[in-house]
Amino acid sequence: MWVKCMNQTNVLPRLPALQNGRCSLSRVAPHVPVLLLLVPALLVVFVLFVYPLGYSLVYAFRDEKLGVWGLMNFRQAWLLYAKDIFLTLGVSLASSFLIGFFAVAIAGYLSLGENRRAVAILKWLYRWPLFIPVVVVGQMMRTFLARNGLMNNALMALGVIEPLQAVSFLDWRGMIFTFVWKQLPFATLLIAGAMAALDRSMLEAARNLGAGRLRVLCGIVVPQVLPTVLVSLILSFVSILSVLSVPMMLNAGSPTMITVDMAWRVASYSDYGVANALGLISWAMCAVAACFYLRHGVRERGLQ
Amino acid sequence: MKLERKLMCLALGLGLGLAAPASQAETVLTVVSGGSQNMVDYITDYLGPMFEKLNPGVKVKALGVGPDDAGSQKIVEKLQAQKSAGVKEWDVDVVVPNQQKTGEMVKAGLLQKYRDSISTGKFAVSQSAQHALGVNVGGYVMPMFESQTALAYNPALVSNPPSSYDELRQWVAKNPKAFGYNGLKNGMSGVAFVVGWMYAYGGNPAVIQQGPYDKKNEVSWDKALAELKAFNQQVTFTPGNAGTLDMLNRGEIAMGPVWVDMFYSWKADGRLPPNLKLKLIAPGMPGQPYYYAIPAQARNAALARKFIELATSPQVQANGIVKRFNWYPGIDPNAVKSQLSAKDWSELFTDVTPADLAANAKPFPLAPYFTDMRERYEARVQN
Repeated sequence: MWVKCMNQTNVLPRLPALQNGRCSLSRVAPHVPVLLLLVPALLVVFVLFVYPLGYSLVYAFRDEKLGVWGLMNFRQAWLLYAKDIFLTLGVSLASSFLIGFFAVAIAGYLSLGENRRAVAILKWLYRWPLFIPVVVVGQMMRTFLARNGLMNNALMALGVIEPLQAVSFLDWRGMIFTFVWKQLPFATLLIAGAMAALDRSMLEAARNLGAGRLRVLCGIVVPQVLPTVLVSLILSFVSILSVLSVPMMLNAGSPTMITVDMAWRVASYSDYGVANALGLISWAMCAVAACFYLRHGVRERGLQ
Repeated sequence: MKLERKLMCLALGLGLGLAAPASQAETVLTVVSGGSQNMVDYITDYLGPMFEKLNPGVKVKALGVGPDDAGSQKIVEKLQAQKSAGVKEWDVDVVVPNQQKTGEMVKAGLLQKYRDSISTGKFAVSQSAQHALGVNVGGYVMPMFESQTALAYNPALVSNPPSSYDELRQWVAKNPKAFGYNGLKNGMSGVAFVVGWMYAYGGNPAVIQQGPYDKKNEVSWDKALAELKAFNQQVTFTPGNAGTLDMLNRGEIAMGPVWVDMFYSWKADGRLPPNLKLKLIAPGMPGQPYYYAIPAQARNAALARKFIELATSPQVQANGIVKRFNWYPGIDPNAVKSQLSAKDWSELFTDVTPADLAANAKPFPLAPYFTDMRERYEARVQN
């Protein structure tokens, strides 16, 4: 039975004996080595990921002090961290949308730009943040975005702002800025790849008929790569939700993101219950995004 | 084929090369530090090499798990996991946890009593060598050093610094956003400022510090926290202990609570302007020791005792703790003072005098009060 299920989810796409859902033992037998090869990987996933995940999801409903089951952890999480939950959702969504916007713009210029030198420079430049670890980005932005930091000093030197107008960006704005900066190349890479795979003749036809580049991008290119844009945004959203270092290092004061609260509950109060409840809330946000992702995946496979 | 053989040889060579160090008969003493980077450096650069020289064939491996509760919590989890798994010999020999987690570990039976069996045990005379936030830890710990929080300020901007929380409030009202602290969740210097505030305005400071625990003593907290919430409107929030120092350095704030040792180290490294000063304000701000402790089933317990004996000897406390790292000694100060020149000794007390320390250096609250206090801050001030 499980072999049949796995086959449907495309884990074993190339085993002819398992196609059409018919799996008799004699047909499976020749593929035992392949299945054995999969066992270690599956074991690792189950022992190190599925089991702890399940454990913490279940224990989100457990009050260790009173030794009872219930929703008290969620009540506590809501009472203390409601603002943080909304901030987390807001920052993650806003960052994802901005990432989508800029990624489409950069990828669009890479595939439609006419100035070859500009395209080459952009191509070389935009991937850099991909190779810088998140903690390093956090440390960088701490001095870059501060009130007397590099950014404001540069703006003052250029005469764009007056020294008295300088404000610190070490709050939700700084976090959004950092997430967009860090995650943009990843989304751009995916979207630019999808754009490069488009049929060029269609774009050229549109250009010949007099459509401007912006028109081609919005009217022809983006609709065709929309599924990829969506996927890259969902993946960005999910990875932003899980970052601890950036809010820890950049966000002064409160509200803050719930990863900080989770770490705080465990470190300061040894309270895994509320931390688990917050984890479950974060997981629920991811699950909504994952639903979109899977629905899109199923639709894509249906077309093939 | 040739290439394959070459690759095989290379792989074999690499494998042997990697396996070689493990096969040497060398005892490794594992020290896990739940402190800031300077505390890890202290072991790797100073204490470790000294111990290795005195004990040939021993290698000291220092591991930093990060500062504050979060770091020490990792030590608790590691030891608890080995205890729960029924492991006979634990792979950690010496731990350096903070007060709160040390108390928890003693209660959970994760540490062993060793103080009476080492020659420097008699120097453990401070109150914090007996009690860690209300838990009796006598015999289980030797204080590594004492650290203290105080307000750092820039004398160029603040000519007449406040000397109490009351004066600070007046100063902040006149100079909005010039005072900065790191809130509750971004490091202990912020927590210490909040605790000091509660000692000043929350009532019953002696009971909060010494016990007994009774929720009745928390009745006046809400008023104090409401005032703190109003106070917070006029301050700048900083991202972390280091964040406060960074902002002082860049001139974004003129005053803020910091750890005294971190302040001196940063100043010595040239990461802070040399004119910055410290002030320990009344009625007091908390400080805390870090402890040396030995896990209950440490593999090299005898060696660990020897290591701690060295670390808490008057010479090492004088040259390492006081002179090199600017911490207050963990052991009896009188034993340390005689090892230092008068100049070195007085440098430690330039801004914060022994009289200031005697009057205004406080411990953190009893563990249950401490938990309530932080949670109440989250509920009343941050919401």
